[in-house]
Amino acid sequence: MLNRRMMLERSAIGMGSLALGSMLQSANASEANPLAVRKPHFAAKAKRVIHLFMNGGPSHVDTFDPKPSLEKYAGKALPTDNPKTERKTGAAFPSPFKFQKYGQSGIEVSELFAKTAQHIDDMCIIRSMHANVPNHEPSLLLMNCGEARLIRPSMGSWLTYGLGTENQNLPGFIAMCPGGYPIQESQNWQAGFLPGIYQGTYIDTKQTEVNKLIENIRNKNLSLEKQRQQLDLLQKLNSLHAKDRLTDPILESRIQSFELAYRMQMDAADAFDVSKESKHVLEMYGPGVQARQILIARRLLERGVRFVQVWHGAGQPWDSHDDIEINHRRLAKECDQAIWALLSDLKQRGMLDDTLVIWGGEFGRTPTVELPTPGANAGKINGRDHNHHGFSMWLAGGGVKGGTIVGNTDEFGFAAQDNKVHVHDLHATMLQLLGFDHEKLTYRYAGRDFRLTDVHGRVVDDIIA
Amino acid sequence: MNSFLACQLTLLLLNADAASIDFFEAKIRPVFIEHCEKCHGSSKQQGGFRLDSKDHFFKGSDSGPIFNPTKPLESKLLKLLHYQSELKMPPKGKLPDQVINDISEWIIKGAPWPADLKKNPNAIAIANQDHWAFKPIKKPAPPKIAQPSLANNEIDFFIQAKLEQNKVSLSPQADKRTLIRRVYFVLVGLPPTPQEVESFLNDSDPQAYPKLVNRLLDSPHFGERWARHWLDLARYADNRGYIGVGVDRTYPYAYTFRDWVIQSFNNDLPYDKFLTYQIAADNPKSGASKSDLAALGFFTVGRRFINNQNDIIDDRIDVLCRTTMGLTVTCARCHDHKYDPIPTKDYYSLYGVFASSQEPEDLPDLGLEGSGPEAQEFQLELAKLIKEKEKFETDNAEIKVKEPRKFSESIKPYDNRIKQLKSKHPGSPPKGMVLFDRPSPVEPVVFIRGNQGNRGPQVPRQFLEVVSGANRTPFKQGSGRLEAAQAIVAPQNTFTSRVWVNRVWAHVFGNPLVKTPSDFGVRSDPPSHPELLDFLASNLMEDHWSTKNLIRQMLLSSTFKQTSSPRSELQNNDPENSLLIRMNRRRLDFETMHDSMLAMAGTLEPAVGGRSVEMFTPPFSSKRALYAFIDRQNLPGVLRTFDFALPDTHSPQRFITSVPQQALYLLNSPFVQEQASKFTLRFTNTDDHFEKVQAMYRVALQRSPTKEEVSSALEFVEASGPDGFKQLGQVLLASNAFQFID
Repeated sequence: MLNRRMMLERSAIGMGSLALGSMLQSANASEANPLAVRKPHFAAKAKRVIHLFMNGGPSHVDTFDPKPSLEKYAGKALPTDNPKTERKTGAAFPSPFKFQKYGQSGIEVSELFAKTAQHIDDMCIIRSMHANVPNHEPSLLLMNCGEARLIRPSMGSWLTYGLGTENQNLPGFIAMCPGGYPIQESQNWQAGFLPGIYQGTYIDTKQTEVNKLIENIRNKNLSLEKQRQQLDLLQKLNSLHAKDRLTDPILESRIQSFELAYRMQMDAADAFDVSKESKHVLEMYGPGVQARQILIARRLLERGVRFVQVWHGAGQPWDSHDDIEINHRRLAKECDQAIWALLSDLKQRGMLDDTLVIWGGEFGRTPTVELPTPGANAGKINGRDHNHHGFSMWLAGGGVKGGTIVGNTDEFGFAAQDNKVHVHDLHATMLQLLGFDHEKLTYRYAGRDFRLTDVHGRVVDDIIA
Repeated sequence: MNSFLACQLTLLLLNADAASIDFFEAKIRPVFIEHCEKCHGSSKQQGGFRLDSKDHFFKGSDSGPIFNPTKPLESKLLKLLHYQSELKMPPKGKLPDQVINDISEWIIKGAPWPADLKKNPNAIAIANQDHWAFKPIKKPAPPKIAQPSLANNEIDFFIQAKLEQNKVSLSPQADKRTLIRRVYFVLVGLPPTPQEVESFLNDSDPQAYPKLVNRLLDSPHFGERWARHWLDLARYADNRGYIGVGVDRTYPYAYTFRDWVIQSFNNDLPYDKFLTYQIAADNPKSGASKSDLAALGFFTVGRRFINNQNDIIDDRIDVLCRTTMGLTVTCARCHDHKYDPIPTKDYYSLYGVFASSQEPEDLPDLGLEGSGPEAQEFQLELAKLIKEKEKFETDNAEIKVKEPRKFSESIKPYDNRIKQLKSKHPGSPPKGMVLFDRPSPVEPVVFIRGNQGNRGPQVPRQFLEVVSGANRTPFKQGSGRLEAAQAIVAPQNTFTSRVWVNRVWAHVFGNPLVKTPSDFGVRSDPPSHPELLDFLASNLMEDHWSTKNLIRQMLLSSTFKQTSSPRSELQNNDPENSLLIRMNRRRLDFETMHDSMLAMAGTLEPAVGGRSVEMFTPPFSSKRALYAFIDRQNLPGVLRTFDFALPDTHSPQRFITSVPQQALYLLNSPFVQEQASKFTLRFTNTDDHFEKVQAMYRVALQRSPTKEEVSSALEFVEASGPDGFKQLGQVLLASNAFQFID
């Protein structure tokens, strides 16, 4: 089999590269290629994003927002009313997990993320996140698209629309979720009214064979060499066709797309093949599907993919209405080491400086215990309900002020209190780090100039280094 | 404070002295500008509040006044600034004490503020009068041109006149081979067969071309191609989108709307009736027949937004107003339209129309009960299921009386089976996804800032002022949908005919005259050819709204018959070819590509209409792409990749992108490989490679290959072994020659 370099050399003498030359000269090049690299509004601190989506809603009081006051009221009603959440909750429910200070900053993190916490001095913990409602569907859409119900592009789509992508041989925006879709399905990475190419490419990372990961990435009947010959014929016929038709960018960009596709077959196979990593790296990330998909994510980022979203699993895995101690421990164990490895790995490769890492769910969970509701939970009285009033997320890398805490929740962790950061504010800040004024990254549709933050959003300066 | 003192204070306010005004201008207004106006100014009004003018300041926010004239120190503004309430202003950080003290001092004085400079209240109205789309349609005479011999009909006079102004002329007429391919794709979305090409080439009748156009306009496939254009606007899909996990989302009868649209185009249903039925076919006065009830799917095939009624209505207002009139009315859901004369009140007038309409539990039959074996089979199966249900009822008669709840639970599976059969069986009678009027219509109120909890004034159900004028009368008949339809198709409506002409033009010529086909508001660019647009719009109405005649007129023009090769003359001044110095070269869209491949395979099913089918997993259907089951929640990747219309909201125009994923589909997808294989198998009657290549070219590209093409092909086949022809077949299907229309 030809290696990648030889392939590139071969295709460089094919028709496609000739077309590429004239396409780059053409004024319409960027129009023809919606994924061509574009400059943001101002110098960006982050060039790419990885969003670790703990779907279902991880509990902040069990991870990044310690609330010792809950001990005082353990099993008793809180002195304040429980704010309205999806279901009824009862007495204070202190975290069953131990918290400990980490790093120079001495920020407390629970044992669930003991490994990730090794990087605390690179992380900015936002403890005052808040959203609009305590339900998965609207909160997922809000977190991803900045709007709870209506059709709007997701943040990955906005970014690839705004920045294009660095590697034309791979999709610019990839959403990975093992075993199927999360709740609300592919709407989470929708392009909305933007061109379909800005939609996240979904990858079921439970699959390990590359041809099952990306649609049409392999020809089942032809080897790459054979296909190259076929492609050469195609491009020859295309060039004969173009000869009679003067210079027409729409013909040329299509010729070019075949060369890109051909290379994508190899690059994608390569990017998703974690067996090419050294034993040391594989051990660092650890076993299991989380480790594999987070490692794949790193390989994609390294190759210039703009936005990678890594979902924990199909449905809503972090939704621990019952048995939170068992479930949260299991879920965190699945990903803690890999997240630690990701941060270490990015750092070692010098990529953390311009890679924005985002961790979080669509909301947090109540500091009070969920009461039995027939049909809704198992009635074990050892879980927590959804909580949009206050929750934690963390950012790292890409221009983020490490070793800091932004905002807080009230004494018991129910609601965001000071320096509140709404999801819109997170989006505004994220765009700022990527070089965009969130009010100016717009797209006109149906008579309106739409943006990710709609009519909201403030840049949270405390997050930015 | 008693009323006497309040009076005193008011007087004080009126006599705001010059010093106080100076204090305001020096100490207060700059603070407002710096710290507040970003969120409470002309561009944004958070909480419905702005303080960039006196009037707005004293009006207060959505939740009430901000200044308390009777107890100034208790004014809400001071509480916000002191961070004493839950809401804290400015949110980024408390203002310095000195600044808050200044504001308190100013508040105590009664908030002296100089009068606003009055803007002419009619300024917007006056500006609007100048907007082209708001002006009445007048039929202009075609302009004089220097070379009338170039013109085939009036369209050419308008086009050539503009070209002459730029010292250029229409391109020469395309050859017949190019033309027949172009006409086929525009009218029926399929390539011509080699026989059809030959007979057109050999037809020396000067009327050969008009005859071809007429024949294709009469083809049942015409309606299929043009229905798909309409379904883009109607955000057609076969399911309702996300409404929860494990809930059946399917619209089993969405296809009846699709089929109605096909038949309407095929029958050349006048466009005014075509719209009226889609808006109000349930109203007997609309003139619609029972089978036209399917037209109401126009509203009901939309997304359901987890059953949020306000969003469903918003979607219906949007699909109605943008599709028919190019008006972006939903901008007025939360505030008056920022650019167009569409106040929030008008939005809620239409809201009332849809809130007064409902979908019945049981959808009505369309009176189209089939005969044939499928219908018989359905009747047999239905009878069987009913029998089973009856048996269960008889067997459990005792439980029915004693434990009615348990009984109704246990009989559910029987009902479900009947329901499933009715919605899935191809022989079951089709039903319409209708809207009916509620028994008593809803009197709508404005939801302030779109918030249902914040109810504003009541408004009548009536049509938009920008269309029906200030003297419009409220709707009287039920929900008012029929009256809305009548307002839309009224000859004095300045939008409807123009919008339709512009859409048809875009489909025929590849580019619209007005660049934003679904936004004719004040921010839209004027048409490239305003007189032509009005000429065709007037013609359309005079010609009883015949869409086929409109299309025919366009196809018979010299403008349409031009060659498509780029020309150097206007390339810099008119890179988008809006002056039409040449025909636009176009790439096949997803449907024409898909259908052409099936045509090449020789398996394309000619039958028109029917239930939607799974199209994207093997074994592949041979039906046209139009019949694909459209899952709007998880749109198949191939549709996204090929710029299919987003089925979630009205889609004015398709994007045209060229991305490697499209090429991957053509190179590797099982569908393309299967069609290539079948295509090649059609040429097994000869072993002569040269003849075989010739024949493949004639079928795929409707022409013979050049010498160079033949030698390249033969060389490839020879080198590629037994699979060579199949691969060659795939190359032809993937080639630019196949995928572009000159």
